[in-house]
Amino acid sequence: MTSSLGMEGHAGGQPLGEQAEFLADKMGEVRREISKAIVGQAEVVEGVLIALLAGGHVLLEGAPGLGKTMLVRTLAQAVAQKYSRIQFTPDLMPADVIGTSVVQENGDGRKSLGFQPGPIFTNLLLADEINRATPKTQSALLEAMQEKQVTVAHTSHLLEEPFFVMATQNPLEMEGTYPLPEAQLDRFLFKLRVPYPGRVDLHDILDRTTQGTTATVNAVVNGPQILEMRKVVRAVPVAPHVQEHVVKLTLATHPENRENLLASKYIRYGSSPRGAQTLILGGKVRALLDGRYNVSLEDIRALMLPALRHRIILNFEAQADGRTPDDLLEEIAGKISVQ
Amino acid sequence: MFLREKINLVAPGEPSGRAYLSVLRSRWRQVFSSDRAQTPENQLLLARIFDRQACSPELQGLTSTLKSIRQRILANTVFHGWAHWLVWVSIALIAVAAVSSKLMGVLVFVAAVAAAGTAAVFAWAWRNRPSHYETARCLDSASGLQDRLSTAIYLGGIQDADGMIFEQRKDALARLGKVDPRGLFPIRWPENSKRVAVVVLVAAGLLAYRIQHQAPLVSLLRSTLRSQLVQSIVSPIARALEKDLQRTMAMVTMKPDAAGEEAQRADAASKTDDLWKADGKANAADDQKDAADAENQQQDQMQPPGSQEGPSSSDAREQDSNQQSQDSKNGNDENESQSQEQGEQSGPEGRQSMGQSLMQALKNMMSKTPNQHSNNRPDQQPPNGQGTPQSGNSNQPGANESDKRGDSKGNSDAKQKATQTASEGAGSQQGTKELRKDADLHPVNAVPDRVALEASGFKEQTRMKVATETGAAHLAVGNVSPRQDAVTNGAEQENIPARYRFYVQRYFEHADDGKQ
Repeated sequence: MTSSLGMEGHAGGQPLGEQAEFLADKMGEVRREISKAIVGQAEVVEGVLIALLAGGHVLLEGAPGLGKTMLVRTLAQAVAQKYSRIQFTPDLMPADVIGTSVVQENGDGRKSLGFQPGPIFTNLLLADEINRATPKTQSALLEAMQEKQVTVAHTSHLLEEPFFVMATQNPLEMEGTYPLPEAQLDRFLFKLRVPYPGRVDLHDILDRTTQGTTATVNAVVNGPQILEMRKVVRAVPVAPHVQEHVVKLTLATHPENRENLLASKYIRYGSSPRGAQTLILGGKVRALLDGRYNVSLEDIRALMLPALRHRIILNFEAQADGRTPDDLLEEIAGKISVQ
Repeated sequence: MFLREKINLVAPGEPSGRAYLSVLRSRWRQVFSSDRAQTPENQLLLARIFDRQACSPELQGLTSTLKSIRQRILANTVFHGWAHWLVWVSIALIAVAAVSSKLMGVLVFVAAVAAAGTAAVFAWAWRNRPSHYETARCLDSASGLQDRLSTAIYLGGIQDADGMIFEQRKDALARLGKVDPRGLFPIRWPENSKRVAVVVLVAAGLLAYRIQHQAPLVSLLRSTLRSQLVQSIVSPIARALEKDLQRTMAMVTMKPDAAGEEAQRADAASKTDDLWKADGKANAADDQKDAADAENQQQDQMQPPGSQEGPSSSDAREQDSNQQSQDSKNGNDENESQSQEQGEQSGPEGRQSMGQSLMQALKNMMSKTPNQHSNNRPDQQPPNGQGTPQSGNSNQPGANESDKRGDSKGNSDAKQKATQTASEGAGSQQGTKELRKDADLHPVNAVPDRVALEASGFKEQTRMKVATETGAAHLAVGNVSPRQDAVTNGAEQENIPARYRFYVQRYFEHADDGKQ
């Protein structure tokens, strides 16, 4: 049982308990540093941190001006990682993202082809308005996201860990865009909706951004510490009834499941196994951030929407009835009994 | 629907036999090769495994707490099930005590059933008792510990845990000390305890009553059946039902042709029926009264003031009324002869079928129609001036009378003649006397009334025409051969039935008169 849970007892020379406490403390500090620049958006910040520690990527969806770019920049500063930003446009080519081979001249005047890395070679990458690039460019980025490497001229180049992509897309301007295919959407750990700030948050935003004061974000953790935290996360135990709930929830999104009439009526394709993996892994991170050492059903419920909303594809009837993935998932989860 | 989808997937168009086999195979796998780990029995088995496994000494406090909670949950379950069972046993006891006369054996049986049910409830509750793991989940849910205790119990089999498991146990035990498990899981009386108490008290009271008295429901039923009120209500209903049943049986066993006449006769003599014979002499006087009333009513209906009945029927009524008055004096024994006389009153017409009556009416109409038409002509001698018995209608003697007067007075005014006809034909005594003489002279025709009904309607229309257009209508009396212009839709007059032939012919003659 211990081996199946991957618990070696120690990681990185320190007991796992201490590392878990260290993780919770450091992530608390990161939150506080981010909150210096980002007003509100607590759920989005938490989702981004969970995805960072779970080793996944995040797709942010929200209107312009809600601080998506600011969030990535602030996070990069807080975790002391390299940061780059790519503005996706229709004429953007894959070489513009992953790099290309160029003719280089060395010191003795001899010329050779050398690899010029693209902006993807970084730790934190902001792919701004990813749905405006052509599918060819999108697939180049998404391959790098999945494999953590790029191949140019028969040469594979590993990306530096931690590699964390935050892609944004604007839900309003859909004309002239290339919506991400479902298979590529599945590679994002979470799809987070960036809400419009509330009244109090808007006052705070105005106070911070219009008075000439600039927030200074301090680096709290570094790359190796983040990688150690990822190992700690994997050691969090999961009770069988929690895992059973995750399995039932994932299977309930499939239209082939005759027990769930809602899914068979409105869903064309259900969640992939990546959805269940995301729920468990994200639950572990959330448990550690909450100071617990076990995954609870509450973690699963909290992460259900960001983990599954982009993994189910609605059919025409759902679109005609105005159903959204969020309300369908809420209804499906409400009908699942916890064993 | 699933079958259809599968068939379409395999072979669009006509479903093949292999497609059906494939669908059946897949359904078989779905039914029999499902994941058995998901069944409740296996989950129960899994929970038992957690109970059997040796728990870490660190978790002794947690397991002892869970044990006490488990006992409380078990006690609540037993109380709840036992209360339900007690309600049913009490209800059964009440029912038995209210009905059964022998109480002792029933009490022993009920006590045995109650004991067996209690044992069954306890066995069921013990079998379905929550495991440590399920109890920990209940405690997590009740105290908001976010699955800390259940995870600790799940990992409790690991001895000398370190790292994350150790931290998890430590966290779970630390959180457990902050909650009050006994307050979260108190021993509660069943929700329906008041209802149970009421039912038990009622049952106990009824048993105490039965010690000195009989079964209350049985005695109540007996006293009710003995009461005169019930007797007065039930006995007439029973007699009426019996009478209806016998009448229905008698009608069913009759001939189909005579069924209708018998039904009319039975309705008329419903109160003089001899079914009351079975009731004995006590009912004989009532039957006589009923029979007399029925005959009076029948006479009233058949002899209204200014009645338009024919003379033959009126004679028959007079005879019948005399006979019936005698019969009513003779009592029930003569009811049968009365019914026979009523059958004779209806005479041959009552025994003839409707088709025979119609045929006879047509024959009479064919033979008498020229004479009847001649009555409409004042300048012609009626071949049969006297009212015939076949008419059986007040119009017929009235018409004959008018014909006589027409002969003596010659061509008088048609309106005056019609007035006289109407006044004298309405059941006048003179016409009745003449027809009575005719009835004595001539034998009674088989279907006098039927013929009169058919013929009178036809003749009445003719007379109405004469009254408004005197002398304008020229009916063909002797020559009834079809005319060339009397063709309707390709059918000549030979094909028209005889009863409609005159009507059609007269219709075209009137049309010719209008043209002229």
